[in-house]
Amino acid sequence: MSTNVSKLVKVNQITKTALLTVEHLSWCADDNLILDDISFAVKQGSFTGILGPNGAGKSSLLRCLYRFVKPKQGKVSFAHHNEHHNIWQLNANDYAKNVAVVLQETPSHFNLTVYDVVALGLIPHKGIFSRADNADDEKIAQAISQVGLENKVQQSFEHLSGGEKQRALIARAIVQSPSLLIMDEPTSHLDVRYQIQIMELAKSLGITVIASFHDLNLASAMCDNLLVLNQGKLVCQGTPKEVLTSEMLSDVFGVCAHISEHQQHKVPHISYYYGYTSGDHEQGEDHV
Amino acid sequence: MSKVKTMFKNDINKSQKSAGQKSLAPKKQSLFAHKKSTAWLEKKQISHSGVTILTVIICIFSLFCALSFGAADISFADVWHSLWQNEDVGFIQRIIWELRMPRAILALLAGCGLAISGLILQMVTRNPLADPYLFGISSGASLGVVILIATTGSIFTVMTPIAAFVGSLVAMVMLMLIAGRRQSQQVESMLLAGVALSFLFSSFTNLLLYHTDPQAVTAVLFWTMGSFSRAQWENLLFPTVVIITCIVFMLAYRRQLSAMLLGDESATTLGINVNRFRIIMLLLSSLITATLVSMCGGIGFVGLMIPHIVRFFISQGTVFGILLTALVGGIFMIWVDILSRTILVNQELPVGVITAATGSLFFLTLLYFRKNRPN
Repeated sequence: MSTNVSKLVKVNQITKTALLTVEHLSWCADDNLILDDISFAVKQGSFTGILGPNGAGKSSLLRCLYRFVKPKQGKVSFAHHNEHHNIWQLNANDYAKNVAVVLQETPSHFNLTVYDVVALGLIPHKGIFSRADNADDEKIAQAISQVGLENKVQQSFEHLSGGEKQRALIARAIVQSPSLLIMDEPTSHLDVRYQIQIMELAKSLGITVIASFHDLNLASAMCDNLLVLNQGKLVCQGTPKEVLTSEMLSDVFGVCAHISEHQQHKVPHISYYYGYTSGDHEQGEDHV
Repeated sequence: MSKVKTMFKNDINKSQKSAGQKSLAPKKQSLFAHKKSTAWLEKKQISHSGVTILTVIICIFSLFCALSFGAADISFADVWHSLWQNEDVGFIQRIIWELRMPRAILALLAGCGLAISGLILQMVTRNPLADPYLFGISSGASLGVVILIATTGSIFTVMTPIAAFVGSLVAMVMLMLIAGRRQSQQVESMLLAGVALSFLFSSFTNLLLYHTDPQAVTAVLFWTMGSFSRAQWENLLFPTVVIITCIVFMLAYRRQLSAMLLGDESATTLGINVNRFRIIMLLLSSLITATLVSMCGGIGFVGLMIPHIVRFFISQGTVFGILLTALVGGIFMIWVDILSRTILVNQELPVGVITAATGSLFFLTLLYFRKNRPN
């Protein structure tokens, strides 16, 4: 598995082609335009972060990507066997073999063990009557050890901590063996240690990742590419250095902040000014 | 200051190293972990087959008891003899083969069927309180029977099960039409529509009962409380086929069923057409309930509680979990039938009374001990 991953990374470094492209995507819920004419491409092997204030359409955009809702206009295409297909023309099962999704939803009341949850990742790969064979067991065991939950295999999923739940869901995604991992706010409700752990885990998989974020500094440290949504429109996209500017923060998020360079990772680091609205931006800097 | 900085840097390097080790999992460690977890898997499988064998043995023993206990006392030895002897030994053999055997088998089938259909509903609606009776299926069946009695005047005929079946089918189709339309929030609209339909049918039933003669009212009342007394060999084929088909279907789609527990969106991302899947499963469960209601009347509680009781001990998404739920339901029902025949001398208690009473007492006890036990 680990050799496979390193191979994948190598291949990805050589051919940085688009895995997923979104063209003029619009989506509305009951006549409310939620997503408005969004276009972007996600390169193979890259880590893409989606930023934006609450209600900007981050989750709706991700829903369009994982086929939960059908866009009103525009199309999303996915590179499957080196050919770009509209995702709605692909078989649901084929798409699930290639795209794994980790959401905030968690099972409850039903006493599922961690093993059961992780084993659900086999669904797209298994026929209805086929049993899990040794290779599958190995796959599941490997995924569980990759996320470090070996000693929790028998435990009920409900009784895990937030970070462990997220790790179990990621293990499920690993079993799905996808080429693209989509995560909807994977770090919300987690403490700092788990936030970093989860993101490093996602990065270590060596596959393409699209994730939505609330923590801008975490996004800056983890992502190769950022998209900023505001009121359903794609406001800007690019590398963290290009995107995370104090102008963008005041325009989109309505906060004033100072951008410096992270002393260890050389990525933009945001320090917020408290007690100022975005209009007081300049004044704020004078004050400091 | 610079000292602090270098310290900080060292710290970061250290933490990165350890984080790297953890997440990338060097080969040795992962191999070891793998060994450990598959060893555990094997252990689990052994204990699973042990429990399954034990349950099957208990099930066969219960069937044996059902043949032995009753108004006419028949010893275990006589039961054993009459099971294997081909020549007619008369009275005892006739009681066993023509009365008690079909009855015990019907009880087993009803228990399995109700437990399974409750399990299906609870999983696809992610609601641990879902029950076949919550969706208006049994009130539909009652309405069918009452309409038959009110129009023909005859109380119980060959037509009764057919009327019950048609009534529950009508309820089911109405539920589909209401719930199948809405794509989002399907679970909520399904539950609400089920409760509404259930009350609607009950009110029609009561209205009709109000206008029919008192004798019919008593008969209908007794019928809604459930009984296995109408069991006959030639009636058993249909429910057997229905229940076995549904269990096979459920085993085939067990992974999809557990995936439904993750939530609609997550299930969609695993390649499942959530709305269609839920409707197919609801149809299956309704078919089981309609069949059983038409044969044995209304038997509440089993579909709700048996999956719960089994869930206390094991997780239910596996072949083992599904089969065990069915078997436990069957065993429970056989004993309920035994009780209903033996508690009162020369009289039969309605099955529904006993399922509700014993089941809820058992469940409350279980809850009490669960509460006092740390997790």
